[in-house]
Amino acid sequence: MADVSLRNIKKAYGKVEVLHGITLDVKDGEFVVFVGPSGCGKSTALRIIAGLEEITSGELYIGGKLVNEIPPAERGIAMVFQSYALYPHMTVYKNMAFGLKFAKTNKEDADRRVREAAEILKLTPYLDRKPRDLSGGQRQRVAIGRAIVREPAVFLFDEPLSNLDAALRINTRIEIAKLHRTLKATTIYVTHDQVEAMTLATKIVVMNQGRVEQVGGPLELYHHPRNQFVAGFIGSPKMNFVPGRITAIDARGVTVEYGEAKPVVVPVGGDGAKPGDTVSLGIRPEHMGEGSAGSVGFTGTIEAVELLGEASYLYLRRNDGTPLTVRSPGSTIAEAGATITASCNADAIHLFDEEGNAFSRRNAAVAA
Amino acid sequence: MAMVNRRVNLNRIAVHAALIFYTLIATCPIALVLVNSMKSRNAIFGNPLSLPTPATFDLVGYQQVLEKADFLLYFGNSLVVTVVSLALVLVTGAMAAWALGEYRFKGNTVVALYMAVGIMVPIRLGTVSILKMIVGMGLINSLTALILVYTAMGLPLAILILGEFMAQIPRDLREAARCDGVSEYRIFTAVILPLIRPAVATVAVFTMVPIWNDLWFPLILASGDGKQTITLGAQQFIGQYVTNWNAVLAALSLAIAPILVLYVVFSRHLVRGLTMGAVK
Amino acid sequence: MTSIAMAADTSVGRRKWPTHIVVFLAPAFLVYTVFSIYPLIDTIRLSLYTADDTGRQSFIGLGNFVTLLTDPNWSKPFWNAFRNNMIFFAIHMLVQTSLGLALAALLSLPRLKGASIYRTLLFLPTMLSVVIIGFVWQLILSPLWGIAKSLLASIGLGTLFAPWLGQEGTALITVSLISVWQFVGIPMILIYAALINIPDDLIDAATVDGAPPFYVFWAIRLPLVYPTLGVVSILTFVGNFNAFDLIYAMKGAQAGPNLATDILGTFFYRTFFGYQLQTGNPTMGAAVATMMLLIILIGVLFYLFGVQRKLQHHLA
Repeated sequence: MADVSLRNIKKAYGKVEVLHGITLDVKDGEFVVFVGPSGCGKSTALRIIAGLEEITSGELYIGGKLVNEIPPAERGIAMVFQSYALYPHMTVYKNMAFGLKFAKTNKEDADRRVREAAEILKLTPYLDRKPRDLSGGQRQRVAIGRAIVREPAVFLFDEPLSNLDAALRINTRIEIAKLHRTLKATTIYVTHDQVEAMTLATKIVVMNQGRVEQVGGPLELYHHPRNQFVAGFIGSPKMNFVPGRITAIDARGVTVEYGEAKPVVVPVGGDGAKPGDTVSLGIRPEHMGEGSAGSVGFTGTIEAVELLGEASYLYLRRNDGTPLTVRSPGSTIAEAGATITASCNADAIHLFDEEGNAFSRRNAAVAA
Repeated sequence: MAMVNRRVNLNRIAVHAALIFYTLIATCPIALVLVNSMKSRNAIFGNPLSLPTPATFDLVGYQQVLEKADFLLYFGNSLVVTVVSLALVLVTGAMAAWALGEYRFKGNTVVALYMAVGIMVPIRLGTVSILKMIVGMGLINSLTALILVYTAMGLPLAILILGEFMAQIPRDLREAARCDGVSEYRIFTAVILPLIRPAVATVAVFTMVPIWNDLWFPLILASGDGKQTITLGAQQFIGQYVTNWNAVLAALSLAIAPILVLYVVFSRHLVRGLTMGAVK
Repeated sequence: MTSIAMAADTSVGRRKWPTHIVVFLAPAFLVYTVFSIYPLIDTIRLSLYTADDTGRQSFIGLGNFVTLLTDPNWSKPFWNAFRNNMIFFAIHMLVQTSLGLALAALLSLPRLKGASIYRTLLFLPTMLSVVIIGFVWQLILSPLWGIAKSLLASIGLGTLFAPWLGQEGTALITVSLISVWQFVGIPMILIYAALINIPDDLIDAATVDGAPPFYVFWAIRLPLVYPTLGVVSILTFVGNFNAFDLIYAMKGAQAGPNLATDILGTFFYRTFFGYQLQTGNPTMGAAVATMMLLIILIGVLFYLFGVQRKLQHHLA
């Protein structure tokens, strides 16, 4: 097992810069998830760690060693691909044993490792089959098995669940989490699905357009997003953003006029802002409710209601046109077309400045 | 794929060296002919590898060729035969590929296999009978004979390629037209034909090149009376004037030139067509 | 098919062959049958007859074939042509396939600069007519012009040069290599297409697994193009046993020197049409054609049921 360190890694294809200087540390045994929208550079970063792409500038350390010029096979890594990348003309056994040939493992050792991995992944009955005779989930497990047998220092996963159907995705997610607990291996995992990130990671790296937006544990990112991008990316449905203007700053917090009856005092630090500045209020749908139970109120007309059974989501449109999503209990009787009041508590509100940076929140929410 | 920088450069140099070496082998003979066709006789022998200089530049070979042989006529013949055959192959082949692919009827598989036999079995072997038939029809020494034979020759492969292409047209398009009550013929002409235009390039390559370059059938079915194709004409001319190097080189260059031009213009389509259509 | 399509088929009436199907199929079917299939069958039929000097034909069953295979006047040139054809084919398989594979492998390397230019230029000889190719090479190899000799001399191998085309021992090999030179573009392109169809992920996975580049080619890429190699082989086989044009262009129908370059195609031509002293013999010609058909069919059947079955079992 090993640490992985990226120091100001930049990657450019010709004149186009794709990664703008990524610096981060992955500690031994951590499960780090790179997450972000398509094109944010997460797969590129992973391929750089694997050695499948060249580094334009910056340093990469695995286990304390500088590995910029070292080929993939010698970096002590193993990779699981989105498309599984199984060799179609080889049996499951040969697929898993392929890499061991080059690590100069002796035959008994190799055989033992393959059979052990097959046991863990429940692949033993399939060892003599070819990939085309396996289901998607089984193929994915073979791909994982191929990585396990090499006993690498770092596991790399490139969106491994994207090609599976919903039910299988959840099952395999649990399997991967279990595997991590058993093997205690350093894992770097790439996905665009923030649910996967939240459920699997010990540490999440949110990326956007070739930059790291924030690094932290799942709950830390949930409760203390550093900017509007992270706040909007983590959590589903997306956080609501309501535009407003600062009217006063004092010891209680920042007072914001946001187009309803009375302004709200958000309990955050002033952070060098002044009255008159444009800001955005951020409230998660799950922190809002129908009616006036909370101290901060909103009015809007319901455009659509989604009934999910355990909860319902009301999609409102306020008078000034801004949308608002409110989570209601499954038993709600709200209907489209009605104008209703919704509310939340002041300490559930995040505040973002004109550039999207978050004001520091005072209340001690659960840190990761 | 990442490799250590130094290693990459060395490997790449070796790769390019090998490719350049063989490319030279592939293109030099042709270049030699073209270059020397424009030199005087002495320069051809004295300095075969050099480019024509003002002193050695001489188009006498071309003059002789154009005087003594009707290359324009031969070129026209080749053009007519190739283009008409291609048109017939495309139209009848598309109709057949459509019928075989779209409609389920008794004997569909048998007919499809029957039409595919021609891909593997060369039509030349039936020449004895073909000649008898052509003579019997009074079509000996005519371009029509060539066109009929080449159409038959090109159909199996064309049907295969067009068929595979048509299979990729979404079902929904055809069903939607049927829902609108459109007749089968109109569906074919108005919906299907325009959509297979990309495949036409592939079929054209596989059909036209063998026809244009063929020596066998022009030799047997249309070898005289000004019905020669350019391939046959070039061969006959060379056979006649074999010691007249200028004329011979010029004749060869004239025969090469149209293909070269066409090739340079269409090379991208060609290669794309081959890489797509041939991988079954 | 959906019910709508079925309705279209049967709406014209409950016949098994609705008119539009017949209309679509008929032209191609007719032309193909009349000019491709019927001649083949008729040729086989003709091979069972013999003709006397007046042209009257009489049935002699397999008599022509017996003559062809046993009468020294016929069997010697026939077996000579057959042997030469096999050598012709062997050289193609060895040289053309390896060369095509090597070129395709080089061309399919990722991020190769100028790949499309190489492809275009390397494919050029295939586009040209055999007449041109044949004569160009005759010129180049001609002792009179001396280009080949001077080129060899410039790399110190001048003494190797000989009038290869004119010598019995080397003529066939020379012609075969010229044919390879012309047609290598086709296997090259077909194998290239198959190679670039291999998903990049597989190559990446093998690299991460630790395979050095040559091993990646040998153990991963090559096995995945076996089907294409199979197709290339059978196409080469059919093409080679049908070949005629290049030899005729370079050596005439006599396929000299001394029948050294005679293959089945030229043998067929001479038998059927006659050449110089030999008069044409349609029925024997038909017999030769039938033999060629048989040889090709055996090859094709062997490929379809032997090679292809094995390949399908081997791969996805």
